Amino acid sequence: MSSTVANADHGHAHAHAHHPALQHHFDTMAQQKEAAVIGMWVFLLTEILFFGGLFVAYMIYRIWYFDAFAEASRSLSLFWGGLNTAVLIGSSLTMAMAVRGAQTNKRKATVNWLILTMILGAVFLGVKVIEYADKFEHHHVPGPSFVWAAEHEAPAAGAAPAEHRQLSLTPEQLQQTTQLYFSLYFTMTGLHALHMIIGIGIMLVITWMAHKGRFDEQYFTPVEMAGLYWHFVDIVWIFLFPLLYLVERHT
Amino acid sequence: MSDHASHSSGAGHVSPISLYITIFAALMVLTAVTVGAAFVDLGQFNFSVAMLIAGFKASLVVWYFMHVKYQSHLTKLTLATGMFFLAILLGMMLIDYTSKDFTAMPKGTDPTSEMGAPAAH
Repeated sequence: MSSTVANADHGHAHAHAHHPALQHHFDTMAQQKEAAVIGMWVFLLTEILFFGGLFVAYMIYRIWYFDAFAEASRSLSLFWGGLNTAVLIGSSLTMAMAVRGAQTNKRKATVNWLILTMILGAVFLGVKVIEYADKFEHHHVPGPSFVWAAEHEAPAAGAAPAEHRQLSLTPEQLQQTTQLYFSLYFTMTGLHALHMIIGIGIMLVITWMAHKGRFDEQYFTPVEMAGLYWHFVDIVWIFLFPLLYLVERHT
Repeated sequence: MSDHASHSSGAGHVSPISLYITIFAALMVLTAVTVGAAFVDLGQFNFSVAMLIAGFKASLVVWYFMHVKYQSHLTKLTLATGMFFLAILLGMMLIDYTSKDFTAMPKGTDPTSEMGAPAAH
């Protein structure tokens, strides 16, 4: 016990030579940051494999029921999906700028970029609400009230003739298999949206910390970690967009 | 810029703003390309093209926005390990499902079966 105290005192004696954010079990700020970066990446890898399981489920059902997936995918709005993709890529840019602001010790810029990132994240979620509401309106939510009928399809983007689209599946089969697509749609986009809500929550804290001047060019690890998380969420969407919205648009 | 990013500094590599703008522009262009490609009938290659573009976009984000380019070999190796296991997860599963004769689809949903109607619960 006494040796622990002695060590702590010893560490403290040199502490004023170090950055106040440097914890005693690290030698340098660079080492501390390296540990945080690797730890964050290990966490993100678990997230990648977490979403990976859903991608596997998606792939198998897409192979089995491709026509249903193509059909259901065409009912999604390419406008809202494309807009959200642009919004999310934009928010990745503002997030990168926020981290850069922290790196260069520009407190105000960091705070402003973080706020802009949160606004873009909120815009994305707002568009998602519009899309989800549309699904409820058209009975495209899996469950007892799920209805898949050809007339429900908005012939927005130059829809192909109905006869062509119904060649391999009867209406009953479509009713069953499009529901699978929408189950995956809601699971994947819902989980992604949950990550965005968590990301915005994290950013609220980070923004407050940045505003209070907790960071400088030596220590801004929380900003950078929040950035890694946000970019990861962006990457998930980069795959979700073509998988869900662009199954087969050319027929 | 690279001298500034020496390991003794806690700030790490500070990328120029122009690089971030370029990556952002590339991501936007690639999004437009992937939408455009979806409207062209490439047969079975529509999916591959879409995934290649998405993979390239993801790589840009990882490499530049997430600063992996400037991280240690250990961080890069960590990421590579994860990609390896993701490849096993996706690859092995798809090999299994496409090479074996899984004609028995979930009950009542086989599109090729005459019993296509949903099974009653």
